[in-house]
Amino acid sequence: MRKFIPLLLLAAFCLSSCGPMQPRLRVVMGLGEVEWKVMREEIFPPFEKEAGVKIQAIQMEAGDLPQVLEAQVRAGKVKIDLFAQDNMQLVYLANKGLIEDLSDQEKEIPKNVIPALIQACKFKEKLFFMPYRPNVQITYYNRKKFNQYDLEPPRDWDELLSAAIVFKREEKVGKILFKAYGGVPTATQLYEWIVSAGGDPLSINDAGCIRTFTFLQKLWPYLSPDSIRAKFDTSNEYLARDSAYLMQNWPFGVRIIIEEYGKKEISTYHGFSGPVREAHVVGGEVLGVPKGSKNKELALRFIRYLQSKEVQEKLVSELGWPSIRSDAYGTVPKWMKPHFRSVNGALKHGVFRKNVTYWNEFVKYINEAFVEIVTRGAPVKRTLDFYHKQLEAAKRRT
Amino acid sequence: MMRKYFTEVLLLMPLLLYLLGFTLVPMAYATILAFTNYLNGTFPSLASFSYIFSHFQFKEAVFNTLFITLVGLTLELLLGLGLALLLLERFRGRRFFRALMLLPLGIPTIVVASNMRYLFDTNGFLNEILYRLGIIEIPLNWMGGGLHTLFSLVIADMWKVTPLVMLILLAGLESISREVLEAAEIDGASYLKRLRFILLPLLKPFITMALIIRGIDAFRIFELPLALTGRTVRVLATYSFFEYREFGNPNTSAASAAILMVMILIAIAVYMKVIKQREISL
Amino acid sequence: MKKFVFLILLVFAVIFILTPVYLMVKISLSPPAEILRQHPSLGMEGVTLKHWKTVLFSGQIWPPLRKSLTVAALSVIFSLLLGIPGAYALSRLPFKLSSAILLFIFLSRMIPEIEIALPISISFIRIGLLDTDLGLTMAHTLRILPIVTWILVSSFKTIPKDLEDAAFMDGCSKVRSLLTIVIPLALPGIAVAAIFGFLGSWDEFTYAVYLAIANKTLPLVVYYYINRASFFLASSYATVITIPVIIVTYALQKYLKAENLAGAVKG
Repeated sequence: MRKFIPLLLLAAFCLSSCGPMQPRLRVVMGLGEVEWKVMREEIFPPFEKEAGVKIQAIQMEAGDLPQVLEAQVRAGKVKIDLFAQDNMQLVYLANKGLIEDLSDQEKEIPKNVIPALIQACKFKEKLFFMPYRPNVQITYYNRKKFNQYDLEPPRDWDELLSAAIVFKREEKVGKILFKAYGGVPTATQLYEWIVSAGGDPLSINDAGCIRTFTFLQKLWPYLSPDSIRAKFDTSNEYLARDSAYLMQNWPFGVRIIIEEYGKKEISTYHGFSGPVREAHVVGGEVLGVPKGSKNKELALRFIRYLQSKEVQEKLVSELGWPSIRSDAYGTVPKWMKPHFRSVNGALKHGVFRKNVTYWNEFVKYINEAFVEIVTRGAPVKRTLDFYHKQLEAAKRRT
Repeated sequence: MMRKYFTEVLLLMPLLLYLLGFTLVPMAYATILAFTNYLNGTFPSLASFSYIFSHFQFKEAVFNTLFITLVGLTLELLLGLGLALLLLERFRGRRFFRALMLLPLGIPTIVVASNMRYLFDTNGFLNEILYRLGIIEIPLNWMGGGLHTLFSLVIADMWKVTPLVMLILLAGLESISREVLEAAEIDGASYLKRLRFILLPLLKPFITMALIIRGIDAFRIFELPLALTGRTVRVLATYSFFEYREFGNPNTSAASAAILMVMILIAIAVYMKVIKQREISL
Repeated sequence: MKKFVFLILLVFAVIFILTPVYLMVKISLSPPAEILRQHPSLGMEGVTLKHWKTVLFSGQIWPPLRKSLTVAALSVIFSLLLGIPGAYALSRLPFKLSSAILLFIFLSRMIPEIEIALPISISFIRIGLLDTDLGLTMAHTLRILPIVTWILVSSFKTIPKDLEDAAFMDGCSKVRSLLTIVIPLALPGIAVAAIFGFLGSWDEFTYAVYLAIANKTLPLVVYYYINRASFFLASSYATVITIPVIIVTYALQKYLKAENLAGAVKG
């Protein structure tokens, strides 16, 4: 026993002090396990070899990055050289001066990058971020089950509701998944639906919002009970385990559900329209360099590498991510082609979310309105008016 | 006195200062945060409190916390007592059984949460067992909200902490002399009567101790609801966590933590009173 | 009849205790197809080491393992540095005073962690301690100090005062007597305190979730995989954390006394 303790301490210290011999590039991303695997095995090694560095990858959720960056920048100990961040969480970083101004790098962006994506990286005319991964939700459905009940994939809300009713009647439990876990996934989902009902989501209580929530209230009893835990990652599992037969999710699920889990009966299409139009939020991630990063040059070099055609092609064919480049779809394997048709179909109806300073508050209030109205059955108009006022108060604060 | 123990006081100071500094200063700061207006940052203000009190999810969190504490404590005590009584019997394999009952103490709480997730998932193992036994046809939604979700949380918590209750009660039972029990047995009193009139009264101080120690822990329950039900079913601690981490609102977070703190202070006050009355050593 | 009821209860208790642990091990060894379907298998139909290989050889386990070990080791050192002198003093002070102080130390554990974690997490952002080893160590030291002090006091009390009195006669100071007489004699007790302290930090979750964000500890990795619904990785990592805790729990079974456990070892 007596010998054991010093040994243990020694071991711990060795582990902690075995520092890097090679220069390191510390990269923060928020990815799933399958995605990390591709990054570590396919994307990082060529760059590490070419630049003679070691990439240290750090997993962090989009919502946590601002806190960490703020702590590091204020303390003058920046331990992140490059980060990928959700394109809806950018204002705070830009306003608080936590990131490097990359305006002089704009000319380095390859020509084939879709211009709208570059515009979304600019704040007050300055380029703070670099495009690297656009994203749009497609709709997944279980072909076998739809055929079994003689259903077509829904084209609009009415067909969605009737499909939901059929599944519930036949299987006794709802089989259509709505991402209702809360947070950004639910807010994004609601944003998309409200726009397709002709509303402005940020108002929370205009006619389009009321229409959306009224419909959701009607739809809720027929949805899969797992909806309450569904977000972008868990949803894939629910579809793979037959606990849901239809869902909207980002395209990375194609690789996981169809290839990794071997669920060949899953198909995708661009999605259904709302009462006014079809709309799909363009999400995705951009790259940024924290202010005071000691490896800025290396980070910029890595950004250019990530934007290059060969890397984008790998991301497309290995991960099923849509690309920032219009010329990166050449190497897509055959089985994935129909899914990229779904992606491009959805992108045709793409809408960008407004980058507002009160986005976090919006996420909070729209989620609470959702829980109260949809899962607890509160009156639509009165509840939405209440949260509209809350958001107005928050706007004045920021 | 002061002079005689001068060295001791000096040696004790770093420990006490660390504990005091790291509890009182943060608590003072948390209190300031709680009384700061969450909208415009003015202090003092009751705005953060009036916000959480008007918030339906906060009310649910208070209810859930109280429910888990009350129901959980009752069940844990009953089960712990039952197990302790089982272990009081002399049977073959008693030592092995006792060791087995200690297993949950060796499982970190977050691991318990992970394990319970497999059990209570919609396509999880509890539903599968019930399905195979022919009890249910449609999978039940254990973690979706409502009373059965609270019961599932209670069960998960019970799994982890009942051994602790059992150990406390077993220590109590073993301190009762065998002669008393045997005398009652010879008198022909039935098992239940012996339990009701002899064991339980003698066990009372230990039951009180288990109740209070577990009660305070139950108020603070955090990891299990966070990992198992997340935002769907919140308790006070996870409500406070979400207000801060998900919505970036330290003021309402601190306000709800303050309410939890008050609930625990009341429990501690009761505890101190009981200690004084009964002279139970820690 | 009585025997029969007794047996049934026993069997029930055993099933209740073992099922969740069995599931954890089973899932960490199951091929995905066995779990990812409407009706998962209950027994072990197939066994695969795939998930274990991912955990052990993908390299992802090292940063959190390093962090968990470093923080636990540092917390033990800090709490021994603070705890040994403090506990020595407590074991030599008059009984009434020392038990009052011990009660206070014990009560400090009853404050909800979130009440402490929230303000220090905000201050740590300001002073740049958020997400650092040192920051988390400070919080973990706070958590394990009570149990460490508690065990140390009871072990120092068993050392006969006569030994020290003899030393004092020779003009030895109290500090010297602590260093040369008490500590060497109390080493087994100190080791037990260190091990319990180590475990208290090893499986700590609440402070970690507030204070460690990018550099996760092992319990946070499990939480992350639970959230991502990655059943296999969650169960594999969960097993990794559990093994040392179980070994120590059983090795030190005789120290798992009710009074030591009261509010102290609960993970």
